[in-house]
Amino acid sequence: MSELEMGKPTSFRVNGHEHQGVVGESLLLALRRLGYEVPSLCYHEAVSPYGACRLCLVEVGKGKRRKLTTSCNFPVQPGIEVFLDTDKVVAQRKVILQLLLAQAPEAARVKELAAEYGVSDTPFEKKQGNACILCGLCARVCREIVRADAIAFSSRGTTKEMDTPYREANEACIGCGACVFVCPTDCIGLKDENGIREIVRWHRKLPLKKCAACGRPFAPTFQLNAFAAQIGVERTHFDKCPDCR
Amino acid sequence: MEAMNVFASRLFPRENRFVSGHRACQGCGEALAVRMVHQLLGRNTMVASATGCMEIISSSYPDTAWSVPWLHVAFENAAAVASGIEVGLNILMEKGKLPKRRITVVGMGGDGGTSDIGLQALSGALERGHRMIYVCYDNEAYMNTGIQRSSATPFGASTTTSPAGKFSPGQQTWKKNLPMIAVAHRIPYVATACPSYPFDLADKVRRAAEAKGPAYIHMFASCPTGWRMNPELAVAIGRLAVDSQVFPLYEVVDGRLHLTHPVREPRPVKDYFAPQGRFRHLDEAAVARIERRVREEYQRLLERDGQILF
Repeated sequence: MSELEMGKPTSFRVNGHEHQGVVGESLLLALRRLGYEVPSLCYHEAVSPYGACRLCLVEVGKGKRRKLTTSCNFPVQPGIEVFLDTDKVVAQRKVILQLLLAQAPEAARVKELAAEYGVSDTPFEKKQGNACILCGLCARVCREIVRADAIAFSSRGTTKEMDTPYREANEACIGCGACVFVCPTDCIGLKDENGIREIVRWHRKLPLKKCAACGRPFAPTFQLNAFAAQIGVERTHFDKCPDCR
Repeated sequence: MEAMNVFASRLFPRENRFVSGHRACQGCGEALAVRMVHQLLGRNTMVASATGCMEIISSSYPDTAWSVPWLHVAFENAAAVASGIEVGLNILMEKGKLPKRRITVVGMGGDGGTSDIGLQALSGALERGHRMIYVCYDNEAYMNTGIQRSSATPFGASTTTSPAGKFSPGQQTWKKNLPMIAVAHRIPYVATACPSYPFDLADKVRRAAEAKGPAYIHMFASCPTGWRMNPELAVAIGRLAVDSQVFPLYEVVDGRLHLTHPVREPRPVKDYFAPQGRFRHLDEAAVARIERRVREEYQRLLERDGQILF
């Protein structure tokens, strides 16, 4: 697959059926558009794929070779043959779900997926409290959509975790809550209380601005100032809430 | 979830199931709500739709705005047909004719098709405990046929069958409290939602889809044509309705009431009435009377917030 072929229409086979696709596009996205069901937790079509949760496994064959791969970061190529839900894929997925269950025993979406695959319990040691599965979706959204880049992975191996630099509140965080919205295990947490917004996991507390007209707090002042600077308007532009503006 | 509204819109599912090109009026809040609900419910959905605006605008032969299986049924039996679909799918799955997977069954109707004509079919479906979602898109009158009053029309609103004039002050009965009728069936999930609060709506649709039995969503759907207002206010009017306590946003999960957007310092109700021609004839005394009732009802909800209703 060369650079020149990117974006060109091509055909590939899924479970023996011929389908049309676009060279270079995420295989997972192409499969879902065609109506095939592939589970995933760490994939979001708005940001780059990362292949962390490993649930979107498929078998891809080209020529004589056939291998197990994550479909989210595998590009559609001419002449590939994709096999979904083969015995090998399902067996692997069950192990992955056991591991995810150990990491996030209470997460609703993990439990739901596990139940779908008949995984009710995990032989691995269950983690307490923190339900992060290290999928990195929050950091990708923070970098690519919000462009704040306030969080990232730190450490390696078994101590790897997602956090802000030095585990302190990061000045780059605008308190938008996009990370809370995408988190597949709901482990970040956001509170709007007494005129203060708190992103619990990132220790970020920002006072909310009150609308000049109706007096209701509607967004963190810090965030509004950042937006005003970004789009080049006076700070007073955001004095009123969207309803009164 | 409402607090995360800045970037979350870019993180919604991209693919629409109710696509553009349909024939709704400009500024249709109902079409907006339908699009959001089905964007969130995704591909594995079957819809039974009662007669109403959403039927005529989305399915004029030979076109369709739906990219999921969608049935138009009679005015009164959307809920009955949806429950039938659910049972039928279960039987086909048991017989092995369909792969076993979760297919969300949705019944939808307007306020007329739900609170007047379809109420007994809805009540039956809720009582039998089918695993389905019923969404009532409430634009507070029979807009499709020319703005006739329904039992969901609010007090004082002028419609063609409750016209305001010398001898009539507009609608003379209070709006039927449909979500609480649904709660009385002791179903696992009941919610009110408004497309002006898309993330609150998203949360509720997700929870309704996860409910282990029937779920009922009462959707505020603004109608610029029937409410005699500017189409550009279709979204703003939803916020005004919520902020003035006219349309409370709450959910009842397994009987427990939870106000998802509690409004403790409300705007005056006249702010909500002002842009709408259907309330134009109301004098101050009438508005004050409506405001009293609205506050009273909201206060009752606030008092019971967090309590078990049944």
